[in-house]
Amino acid sequence: MIATIRSTAGILAFGIALGLGISTSAQVTKQPEAQQLRTYDVSRESFLLGTVVKFEFASGALPMGAHLTLQTSSGPIDVHLGDAKVLRAAHLELNPGDSVRIVGEPLSLGDSTYFAARIVQKGAQAVAVRNTRGFLTTPASSMSLADKQALRGVR
Amino acid sequence: MKRLLLLTLSAGAAIWSAACGGGSIVTPPPPVGKYRVANLNGQYAFVTNGESFTGVNAVPLARTGSFTADGMGNITAGIEDVNAAGAPILALQISGGSYTVSADGRGTLTLNVMSGGVASPINFGITLTSGNDGLMIDETSTSTQSSTGSGNFIKQNSASFAIASIAGPYVFDFSGQDGASPSGPESIVGEFTVSGGPITSGVEDVNDNGQFTTAAAVVGNFAADAVNQSTLTGFGRGIAQLNGVQYVFYIVDSTRIRLLNTTGGAMLSGDAVAQSNTAPANVSSISSSFVFIVAGSSGNGGITRVGRFTANGAAVTSVLVDTNNSGQFIKTDTTNNASISLDAANPGRGTVTFTDPHFAAAPFNFVFYLSSPTQGVLQETTTNNGAAVVVADGTIAAQTGSPFTSGNISGTYALNWSGLSLQNSGSFSVQDEEDLLSQVTVSSLSLSGAADIFQFQDGVPVFDLVTSGSIGISGDGTSSTASNRNTMSVKLVKSNSTTVNFVVYFVSPQLAFFANNQDSHRTVAGVLKLQQ
Repeated sequence: MIATIRSTAGILAFGIALGLGISTSAQVTKQPEAQQLRTYDVSRESFLLGTVVKFEFASGALPMGAHLTLQTSSGPIDVHLGDAKVLRAAHLELNPGDSVRIVGEPLSLGDSTYFAARIVQKGAQAVAVRNTRGFLTTPASSMSLADKQALRGVR
Repeated sequence: MKRLLLLTLSAGAAIWSAACGGGSIVTPPPPVGKYRVANLNGQYAFVTNGESFTGVNAVPLARTGSFTADGMGNITAGIEDVNAAGAPILALQISGGSYTVSADGRGTLTLNVMSGGVASPINFGITLTSGNDGLMIDETSTSTQSSTGSGNFIKQNSASFAIASIAGPYVFDFSGQDGASPSGPESIVGEFTVSGGPITSGVEDVNDNGQFTTAAAVVGNFAADAVNQSTLTGFGRGIAQLNGVQYVFYIVDSTRIRLLNTTGGAMLSGDAVAQSNTAPANVSSISSSFVFIVAGSSGNGGITRVGRFTANGAAVTSVLVDTNNSGQFIKTDTTNNASISLDAANPGRGTVTFTDPHFAAAPFNFVFYLSSPTQGVLQETTTNNGAAVVVADGTIAAQTGSPFTSGNISGTYALNWSGLSLQNSGSFSVQDEEDLLSQVTVSSLSLSGAADIFQFQDGVPVFDLVTSGSIGISGDGTSSTASNRNTMSVKLVKSNSTTVNFVVYFVSPQLAFFANNQDSHRTVAGVLKLQQ
């Protein structure tokens, strides 16, 4: 997991992300078509370092799902974390004041722009909330064989 | 287990109480109609797709099986196979059970599944659409398992319980999740021809987590289950191999087979439907309007698209599409770059494309397989800069019986929707699966009836919500006027109420597909089907 994080593009792409207007104050800016159509591309990944301002299991912001307002050195950024149950299953709590590292990339949905998280890292714990093609993970996405064996009781 | 401990009936009803501050509980009027318990009589093959929770995490769950109803409220036999997040549990005996059917066709179904030597119940809400079929949702909520999901059941013809009955060409659509780690969404649509067990030819289109495989060959075979030989003659059950992946199958009759994959860590399920020899071979023979619906995943979360188009030869006109992309609603009205084509090498296979002028850089693309001139399956293949936009598939059906009016949209209907919604989880809200099953009477385009809903975060279903609403007909569903959509509003009341608004596309006066077109905290789609 750490290797994956290290392979991302880093600070330069982060700067580009800010240039695309993903600060929370810019969410209602009409996005150009190219930006709205952009799909997740792991080669464009960057990372954010910041402090949690607000974490919502389900936000009013698009897309549906958990959102994080992250205070970075360049301002607040809206981060989409996908299915909150993934974080809960991993026992990853995000509270105001927590320092976190988010791997992902900026995307748009309608008039909203957000930072699509793929990996959320707090301290030594990292949780994948998207797969490398950008689709959201579920609590079952990364189950081990032993975990799956435990499902033998499902009827 | 903590979650199960928290599950109480009062908690299950919380969302309906909390919405508007609480009120007295209302109940639907006594059901009226033509159905009775004797209408469910015989062997039925069933499927559901949803979620299960057994004390650790909620995991995706697919069921395929067969139950035998005696026409008197008793389940006398059965078997099911389940796949929980890629972990299959095969050939679980159904040792008995019970069911009810009210006059309106709504009812309950309990199957006692042998698990670890103990008969454990699983529970469903059902709504008959005839004596031969019906819709169902999983409503299991016990001390050891909570599970939900939407599906249906179809009467089996035991005379077809032989490998030789699976003969000729079939069109199929399997969807679910792949076997990778972390797993991703997957869709497979295609066609194969079977003769005496072996698949003699076949072709498929795959979208595996955004990776396309186009028009690939299908090889494999259908056979009895070597471990459970008698389940073929007893329940129409056997084992299929498709491109190296094992599936368990259930024969409904020679025209339909239900499949669930059981190897590779994936969870895929769907039906294979016999392809008639009247499926169009040349695009010039296509002259129909079609309604379609697809559902699946985008990078934002869940996505639904429902729409229609008119095809006359290769020309496609009057394209209307309503998209709900994880809370973003998009209305598409276009004739731009719209066309349809057929694959001469693979009868029934074709593609349809059109461009939303607001998203010209990424034309909509779909591949479809027709099982007849009026029925088929399709998979979205839209890309942007070479990358798949979604993993989604569904149904395409020719539009008949228009114009749709208050005169012909009338009678009693089964209604089912499934998807994601924002749900109350104690001190916070979270999105989770939502399944609803209802029966409504439609008169003068007003709806009245009753429903069960299972918002899975609650852990328990809520039964017998008073259901009302209306259908708005703004034409026959073929207008290219942007605002000219047909709509449906469904109000659900228990102690308080919620209303869900939909865009609805009528396939015929007997069948419609719909998806919510308001409320960014809900992504659901469903079917409205006339009771026979």
